[in-house]
Amino acid sequence: MTAPVLETAALAVGYRGSPVVSGVTVAIAPGMLWSVLGPNGSGKSTLLRTVLGLLRPIEGEVRLFGTAVGRWDRRELARRVAWVPQSFDGDPGFTGLELVLMGRAPHQGAWGLPGAKDLAIAHAALAELGIAHLAGRIVSRLSGGERRLLLVARALAQEPALLLLDEPTAFLDLQHQAQVLERVRARVRTGLAAVAVLHDPNLATAFTDAALLLRDGQVLGQGVSSELLDARRLGALYGLDLFEARTDTGNRLFAPRGKS
Amino acid sequence: MTTVARPLLAPSGVRFTPARASGVLVGLLLLLAAALAASALLGEYPVDIARALADPASPDGRVLFGLRIPRAVLGALVGASLAASGSALQALLRNPLADSFVLGVSGGAALGATLALALGLQAVAGPSVFAFVGAVAAMSLVLAAGRARSSPYAALLTGVVFNAFAAAIITCIKTLLTPDRLGEVLYWLAGSLGYERPRTLLVGGALQLVALGLLWVESARLNLLSLGDDEAASLGVPVRRTRALVLLATSLSVAGAVALAGLVGFVGLIVPHLLRLWLGPDQRLLIPASALGGAAFLVLADAATRVLFPVFHAEPPVGVVTAVLGGPFFVWLLNRREHPS
Repeated sequence: MTAPVLETAALAVGYRGSPVVSGVTVAIAPGMLWSVLGPNGSGKSTLLRTVLGLLRPIEGEVRLFGTAVGRWDRRELARRVAWVPQSFDGDPGFTGLELVLMGRAPHQGAWGLPGAKDLAIAHAALAELGIAHLAGRIVSRLSGGERRLLLVARALAQEPALLLLDEPTAFLDLQHQAQVLERVRARVRTGLAAVAVLHDPNLATAFTDAALLLRDGQVLGQGVSSELLDARRLGALYGLDLFEARTDTGNRLFAPRGKS
Repeated sequence: MTTVARPLLAPSGVRFTPARASGVLVGLLLLLAAALAASALLGEYPVDIARALADPASPDGRVLFGLRIPRAVLGALVGASLAASGSALQALLRNPLADSFVLGVSGGAALGATLALALGLQAVAGPSVFAFVGAVAAMSLVLAAGRARSSPYAALLTGVVFNAFAAAIITCIKTLLTPDRLGEVLYWLAGSLGYERPRTLLVGGALQLVALGLLWVESARLNLLSLGDDEAASLGVPVRRTRALVLLATSLSVAGAVALAGLVGFVGLIVPHLLRLWLGPDQRLLIPASALGGAAFLVLADAATRVLFPVFHAEPPVGVVTAVLGGPFFVWLLNRREHPS
């Protein structure tokens, strides 16, 4: 197996010294798409932010490409790691293409004038997600789903080796949920490593290779999606009685039992 | 097939191109040149340009070279500083209401200068030095507040509170002043462009060149910062260093402007807002455009005070003109923002 791009060892993450989740030890290799699943407030986003170096670990460490995250120069790191944040509300009125071109910033000179190559990559990322028509639109006037797609396009334009997605499917209709994860999968097949925080276990079983389950401040389980994700574990994860079925391709499907 | 919001402004989706930027900046430069020319010609004393150029020692020449031109240059410096810093602060704090005045730099500078005037230090450029110290102190406080809590509102609120605090101390000092000194303080506080020696203008100009140049160098990183600190960091921006540099440059620039002209309000809000509507939010274009536009705006506003001389039998301070123009305009802008087209 190739060397992992992301490793954590006995990692505890949280704010102001109080851990939200601890004991996270994972190794994520190129060509793998991981999901992080867990109830609201279980520390999924905090974990991604810590991996990205935006928060300091409370305990343990994060290594990216073999080097502790704190020792990376931000610009060097941004050429290798891209992040799709969960919320996006700071936009002062850039167009879709301008926003996606910002993904090229770590590859450009300090003043960020896009070259022909940068423009081509940004346009390709827009086309890849089927949102070429958003290039000239003002982002703040778009729907939440359209903005989300633009953020994914920006992350793809960043040409990372590791992609961290914080609820990439939030606000998206079913077709776009599948499309985003399919596009990420396609990149993963060519060597990208990706970690996606998801809320839908069905998307996790359908698209991801491995899963990390977080609940009550600890890791409830981790491993290959097709083995790990079953009704018993997911039921325990969400505190819910789950019904399990199979698709025609053999993937597991989960649904709350609800009322009979 | 594509519905583009403003097709003429965003034909390909990217509004910052070197060709467009140079076109815009040359246009604004011409506007500034026209404003400077108008300012040199307008006033109570009708200047005969031919006579002034032929004989600089003539009354026409002395008015033109000794009074009008230095004052127009002063107006341009102050306007450029206030507008460009306003644009940078709005991006940095992700708040369209951020401005050197809201942030308390004005309060700090006014407090410093009032103190100097109260102590009778006007002879040795005391007000300028004290205003500078006060402005830098206020900006440092805001900077510290912004660092302690990463929310952009922390800085803004600290500024508002500091302004109120400074205003109270100024009122206290004013009650202790003799009438003639009080008049001086009141005129300065209202924001006025008076006479400054060429050397002062040269030093002020060099200071603004350094400060605004630094802002322009940081403008691409400022674009990313306007999305949020974490997003900027994930895109490779050294957030803390960039924030510190931008705050340093803006405090330097604004302190210089306030020391020269007192409290001239609204320039830092109005000019960047107007230009953003026209040019989009890209700071690489917005910062130099605001500098040129703000310079032209303040030079014209100052020329207006001289045109108003026969009406009031006195020159109203230029800060009054910018506030009278700026207040209603700003309310209109706010309304517009609530109902996007």
